[in-house]
Amino acid sequence: MIRILAACGAGVNSSHQIQVAIENEMKKRGYDVKVDAVVMKDITPEMLSKYDIFTPISKPKLGFEIKIPVVEAGPILYRIPAMAEPVYDQIENIIKKSNK
Amino acid sequence: MQTLIQIANTIFNPIIKLGGPPVMLILLTILATVMGVKFSKALEGGLKLAIALTGMGAMIDILIGTFNPALQAFVKFTGINLPIIDVGWPPLATITWGSPYTLYFLLIIIIINVLMLILNKTTTLDVDIFNVWHLAFIGLLVMYYSHNNLLLATVLVIIVGILKIINSDLMKPTFNDLLDMPETNPTTTTHLNFMLNPIIMVFDKLIDVIFPFIDKFDFDAATLNNKIGFWGSKFAIGAYLGVFVGLFGHQSIKAIFTLAFTGAVILELFSVIGTWFISAVEPLSQGITNLVSRRFISKRLYIGIDWPFLAARPEMWAAANILAPIMLGMALILPGNRILPLGGIIAIGLTPALLVVTRGKIIRMTIIGTVVLPLFLWVGTLTAPFVTHMAKVVGAFPTNVSSSSLIGGTTIEGPIEKLIAIVWGEFGGNMNITSGLEALVAIVIYILVFIWYAYQMKKRNEEYKKNNETV
Repeated sequence: MIRILAACGAGVNSSHQIQVAIENEMKKRGYDVKVDAVVMKDITPEMLSKYDIFTPISKPKLGFEIKIPVVEAGPILYRIPAMAEPVYDQIENIIKKSNK
Repeated sequence: MQTLIQIANTIFNPIIKLGGPPVMLILLTILATVMGVKFSKALEGGLKLAIALTGMGAMIDILIGTFNPALQAFVKFTGINLPIIDVGWPPLATITWGSPYTLYFLLIIIIINVLMLILNKTTTLDVDIFNVWHLAFIGLLVMYYSHNNLLLATVLVIIVGILKIINSDLMKPTFNDLLDMPETNPTTTTHLNFMLNPIIMVFDKLIDVIFPFIDKFDFDAATLNNKIGFWGSKFAIGAYLGVFVGLFGHQSIKAIFTLAFTGAVILELFSVIGTWFISAVEPLSQGITNLVSRRFISKRLYIGIDWPFLAARPEMWAAANILAPIMLGMALILPGNRILPLGGIIAIGLTPALLVVTRGKIIRMTIIGTVVLPLFLWVGTLTAPFVTHMAKVVGAFPTNVSSSSLIGGTTIEGPIEKLIAIVWGEFGGNMNITSGLEALVAIVIYILVFIWYAYQMKKRNEEYKKNNETV
């Protein structure tokens, strides 16, 4: 199983939409993923180390090095399928490479 | 316009009298179906909204039941009278979405956005359907004070709605700058919290003149945030505010623990229930976006989403962390304040706008934030009777507590617009020359300051353009 961490400003709206969208799309594509949604400011290196992919809403500046692959997931929020597609493709590529 | 309002009134008034979650279940399901959403998805959304409303009601019940006795003791022992409990934004959003009028204001705003796009008055397509509750809150506030003058409410919602969409165009180059977005990235936001930008910019320009040197003291925001760690998280804040009220209210050790844990669990669960309610509106949002975006797909568009893409900037959180204790201290001594910060103490209704105007200058964000905080506390105090009334109307408020119990929000987005809504509502409730003049002057000043701000932002955007060309 691939563990993905989504993050936004309140951990309620945007990251939740990202969470649901990624889970649905990856299930459709045949991957077993688990996505959690948190508030950007609550992220620690320790928390990130438990995930395989980080999907923040926009380019993050956390003040420490991010050691897992990062995919900016903001375009999912436009609700226009063609714009969300590249985000899913990027995630799929990372999953394929990781051989999990 | 008049007939539209009459139709809205005849349809909505009897439905509203039924009150509460079942009505929204029916209305949201119907509306989503009309927008082309599959019936089962539409029904799922409607059900989730009804459940979220019921859940928020249960949480508010627990919060008031636990905190009210301690707060009364707090008042008795300290002499500080802060009887209004700050529930933060998720309950306010849910309660507002519990009113059928929110769907009416939503339709108005969609029509406005589509018209502005057709007339080339904007580049922004707003797909942030759920945040229409901020405008609906303003409209409902006008109606509350004016004994249901829907025309006045509609006019104010339209004015603020138009300015909000213009503002999202104005801010776009700043977003590209703050978040390293390429020109092709369409992300922008129409969120109401950025309507405070004009006021913040006034203070920002003052700092330019009086203390331009303070920017030298800017520090690394991410480092500060990492040091604060879990102390700034929701459950921690809930817990220590519980302890604070308990200690000064001379409660027993056992009661203090209960207050701390209840405060923590409530703040966490408000967010959890908030996610139910977001997914409740999701089918409707997708349906509307499908309908509207198809029309404009050939155009080069900005897409307006919720503000949290700015959460990637650590300055926003550093300012919120610094402002939290300042707000608590201020709440205790500010004349006219009656609200005790709790759910809204992390000021995400304020710091994104500070970030955009100052472009991440943390010292300025803190100073200007402190200067405008009283506005939020006063508006939180003034709107509490309305919020409590709304919560009762939609069935999200315990019926067995004393009538003096009030809920509200400390950092409600758009405090200026709320004040104008009250002035307009009072004019609607008592039409005479004085109240009419007040309503007129308020909106004229509001629009003039916005025009000045728009001019400043256009200057800023010209500079961005020049810099991009030279690079």
